[in-house]
Amino acid sequence: MNKILENSIEKKVVLEARDLKKHFEISKGIIKREKVNVKAVDGINFKVYDGETLGIVGESGCGKSTTGELLLGLLEPTAGEVIFNDVNLSKMSQEELRLARKDLQVIFQDPYSSLNPRMTVEEIISEPLIVHNIMKGKKLKTRVKELMNLVGLQEHQLKRFPHEFSGGQRQRIGIARALALDPKVIVCDEAVSALDVSIQAQILNLLKKLQDELDLTFVFIAHGLPTVRHISDRIAVMYLGKVVELADKNELFDNPLHPYTHGLLLSVPVPDPELRKDDPTTMKGEIPSPSNPPSGCHFHPRCKFATEKCKELVPEFREIIDNHYLACHHPLIKEDNEVFDTSND
Amino acid sequence: MEKLLQVENLKVRFKTNEGYVSTVNGVSLEMKKGEILAIVGESGSGKSVTSLSILDILPPNGEVYDGEVYLEDKNLNKISKNEYRKLRGKEMSMIFQEPMTALNPVFTIGFQLRESLQLNLKMKKSEATKKGIEMLELVGIPDAEKVMTRFPHQLSGGMRQRVMIAIALSCDPKLLIADEPTTALDVTIQKQILKLMKNIREKLNTGILIITHDLGVVAEIADRVAVMYAGEIVEEASVFELFKNPKHPYTRGLMASIPKIHDVVDKLHSIEGMVPNPAEMPSGCKFHPRCPLADNECVSNHPKLEKISDTHAKRCFKV
Repeated sequence: MNKILENSIEKKVVLEARDLKKHFEISKGIIKREKVNVKAVDGINFKVYDGETLGIVGESGCGKSTTGELLLGLLEPTAGEVIFNDVNLSKMSQEELRLARKDLQVIFQDPYSSLNPRMTVEEIISEPLIVHNIMKGKKLKTRVKELMNLVGLQEHQLKRFPHEFSGGQRQRIGIARALALDPKVIVCDEAVSALDVSIQAQILNLLKKLQDELDLTFVFIAHGLPTVRHISDRIAVMYLGKVVELADKNELFDNPLHPYTHGLLLSVPVPDPELRKDDPTTMKGEIPSPSNPPSGCHFHPRCKFATEKCKELVPEFREIIDNHYLACHHPLIKEDNEVFDTSND
Repeated sequence: MEKLLQVENLKVRFKTNEGYVSTVNGVSLEMKKGEILAIVGESGSGKSVTSLSILDILPPNGEVYDGEVYLEDKNLNKISKNEYRKLRGKEMSMIFQEPMTALNPVFTIGFQLRESLQLNLKMKKSEATKKGIEMLELVGIPDAEKVMTRFPHQLSGGMRQRVMIAIALSCDPKLLIADEPTTALDVTIQKQILKLMKNIREKLNTGILIITHDLGVVAEIADRVAVMYAGEIVEEASVFELFKNPKHPYTRGLMASIPKIHDVVDKLHSIEGMVPNPAEMPSGCKFHPRCPLADNECVSNHPKLEKISDTHAKRCFKV
């Protein structure tokens, strides 16, 4: 019943990645003659729906931050397209792109290096409004105060400089700046990773509250799985430039189908010593260099289910169950008892 | 079990433009041989400064102005700088958060491994090379002989941390201090490194003092835990007791504010406010401005760390 209802009300797609690729050329060798293509993002497809939070997780080097920059139109894709509100970002004129950027904002990881140390909080938050020529004078001042209140800062802090604030408060300044232009989509690139746990909780709660109040769409890029589960509606797991699995968050955590997702979930330390386990499933090896990825399925050298097929054939990213997308030749379907015996949970 | 490390009422201050600022205010710790003790706390809690003062490697503007540190029966406050230097690397050693900055980029792994062996154990170069390869194999580095000739930038983050651990353990120290050893690593690699540290303890009976902000890491590896806040230990317990029955409001708040992977809540608990600036410490109990249970007593009086059982102590009037 629920399903029918959900499908009948067509969800609106705000942002879409279509076969998106970004390759960087780097020089190698002693005299830098050799050119190597690093496939940071190598053909990814997903949609971001209006008002949802799409989480993107993966280990370092998987291409999640590059994906974020592509979605924002900060990088020109090597191939494929980013569609924002039915328009291809790379086909836009400079002027159109400038206008689109109002709706596409970003919150960065490091609240120390992402704020100009010589600007006051007031200048930082009002800058986007001035650049886009939206308001000035008294109106601008009121708007800045409104934004400060919205993110939990005090009005008397307007004239202060970033160094006078703690990490958590600086992140609030960054959030206020991102909100200034009333954006539709905010890409949060590791937005809470640099903060202490008790402060992380404050910022996560703030982001959720703002999403409800302002009808925002988030793309939440992070490596911390519990954090991503907490804030996201759907989650995409990336490995070496590709999305390997994408599903509703509960579906993904309760029923991971890709061996990499499964291994990743088991690697997260659980804050309960009673659940300490010496499981044999610890993933072997490390993430290979994206300049020289393994053939076939990129995960095959670390995967214990890999067969000849995995070495040769790149698995297709497809919908395997309703709304559960996967790129794997040997998904961990529940009948396969051998798989779930090793997990102990 | 035999006693390995004892820290008594340690106080550390830093000289700043505004005068002295005290960041560690009377920390007492005890560790047995082969024990893994975790110090947990947020940034500014004094957890790293505590570990640096145990090794006597505080930055130039920092000084221990009270308290004593014993390694087995040796009073480390009474020994000369030179003797201290001989202890470091040999009897106690340290691994840091960022293995890239802790390793010297212009020397090979082999050189850096041999360095401490030749210096501390007076080994010959060939002996040291042999021992170095052994150490790399112990920490699970494949193709150890080849890795000896590599430079740090040629290795991945996880491999570099393994090399750091190999160097730290090469002289068979009794105490290993690990300051956020896995914070810079990916989760799958973190799991491998934690497993390695547990194996090392089993094999070599090394006492490990691990400094971390991650309660997940604590639950995974520690035998006992000390929770630090604003330069003090606010709660100390065996790892099972602490997670089952946290007493101090700060510990409880900390535990409630981490998102759990298997237990999804709508809104996370958050501790209001932030860690106080060491130059402007609150009166009484240092946690009172952020504490939901605080009353007048907490504002005016400073609670002592009191035992509630043999293995559990807390610094709070209210619980």
